[in-house]
Amino acid sequence: MEKQAYIVGVYDDEEPLVNAAKKFKEEGVKIHDVYTPYPIHEIFEIQEVKSRLSIAAYIYGWIGGLGILAFMQYAAVLSWPLNYGGKPVNSFPSFILVTLVFTILFVTIMSLTTFIGRAQIFPGKTIDIIDPRTTDDKFVFVFPQEGTDRKKVEELLKSTGASEIYDR
Amino acid sequence: MEEKFSFPSKLRISAIVLVIIGLAAFIWGFISNPDQAWGNLLLNNFFFVSIAVGASFFMSLQYIAQAGWSAGFKRVSEAVVSYLPVGGILFLVLIFGLGHIYHWAHEGAAVHDELLSHKSVFLNIPFFSVRILLYFTLWIFMAIYLRKLSLKEDLEGGLTWFEKSEFYSKVNIFVIAVTFTFASIDWLMSIHPHWYSTIFSFKAFASAFYHGSSFVILIILLLNRAGYFSFLNKSHLHDFSRYIFMLSIIYGYLWFMQFTIIWYGNIPEETIYYALRWTTPWKTLFFVDIILNFAVPFLVLMPRTPSRNKTVVLIVALFVLAGYWVELYTQIFPAINPENNFGLIEIGAFAGFLGLFILAVATTLSKASLIPKNHPYLDECLHHHF
Repeated sequence: MEKQAYIVGVYDDEEPLVNAAKKFKEEGVKIHDVYTPYPIHEIFEIQEVKSRLSIAAYIYGWIGGLGILAFMQYAAVLSWPLNYGGKPVNSFPSFILVTLVFTILFVTIMSLTTFIGRAQIFPGKTIDIIDPRTTDDKFVFVFPQEGTDRKKVEELLKSTGASEIYDR
Repeated sequence: MEEKFSFPSKLRISAIVLVIIGLAAFIWGFISNPDQAWGNLLLNNFFFVSIAVGASFFMSLQYIAQAGWSAGFKRVSEAVVSYLPVGGILFLVLIFGLGHIYHWAHEGAAVHDELLSHKSVFLNIPFFSVRILLYFTLWIFMAIYLRKLSLKEDLEGGLTWFEKSEFYSKVNIFVIAVTFTFASIDWLMSIHPHWYSTIFSFKAFASAFYHGSSFVILIILLLNRAGYFSFLNKSHLHDFSRYIFMLSIIYGYLWFMQFTIIWYGNIPEETIYYALRWTTPWKTLFFVDIILNFAVPFLVLMPRTPSRNKTVVLIVALFVLAGYWVELYTQIFPAINPENNFGLIEIGAFAGFLGLFILAVATTLSKASLIPKNHPYLDECLHHHF
């Protein structure tokens, strides 16, 4: 895999990073990506990035819940009705417990699968980490070298308190 | 930040009018249908007292979790708790009408009833009255002490008062856990003296916590509408709706837990409770209870956007509180008034208690600064953001 050329701006702390993100937005410079040691929710808001994973999870919830109810209905009522201690064949209250547990399991597994699919992660994949220090204590902005106003970006990075600017 | 609640005279007058309506309804009720009137007295007493106890629990929880986000709203829960002395006096009135509500309080009820005579060591009128006194003494004592610490903090500042409040909040939680368990057994479960459910008091406790917090949130939002709490932002709102959302799940879980186990066990002694509520005049209300208390908050507050909307959270809180009334109504009345003739007594009785509640809460609110002054986490609350 050929590595893309980037301009990387490194910050030492969360606060200058958030302020810088606001400043970049004011100036109309698009930040390609942000890497931080822990999630910073303000960045999502400033960058206006929205995850659609929760919508997917909501839909999976409906599919899982209705699906397992339909399955139990089929298995216990239509296909193989059995008399358990005189209970009605369609014993709705006892279905609810399984529905609850199965829905949680289904949503969890399907969301994870969706996430893995969207992020294209698989075992053995070599991941291109922009700056290994982002897993430790550094906060990083990334801009592609092509199509970026290099001078403006470097100026903004410096004025907002970036401790380091380099190409890679 | 200085902000003081002034009790608007319009609200005071309407509260007094509500109290007068309530008094009239009770007088008319005691003449025309004493059973129903006593039942309403119990229902509304339990409604507001459990909300006050739930608010006390909510307040203590914020202390022991050292929650920063809710520090500015502490005075509202304190004000709700201050209803307890009024509720205590009204509960003592109930002692004169026990026979109208509780089968075990009838004279001679235990003579030919082996189970009742076995239980009569616990379920007898003198001990019952002593227990009412005991519960209220403990609750009011804890409430007054926590309030005193909180007011001292306003005057003097420093961490001492907060640490003391935190410690006594732990004590308060233990006190509430033990006493409210017995209180709900005494006041609600003993209406059906032959029936029992081991999860009943836990459900009642969770329900009190749920609706107490909802009421506190409702008051905060109403005050915000009237122009107070200008710092209330979307993050606070989201936390409020998370509270309601989380507790609605707990409520639904416990409701279903009690129901399934009794349904599955299918022992006549236990199923009688649900059999009564599963027949015609009660069946609709029985399901309205779980829809209002679980389905509505669960479905409405799940997505992000409505849970950050003031009007939506306010309306959901109102629905939840209506659900609490329905819950208590279906718990108390099938034994007292099997025909379910809902009428003016119910409406008037609730109005009267609501008036008293408003008077007690608003008076306490207006006595101290609406926002605690020296709370160590106040700044975190004012700039709450996530």
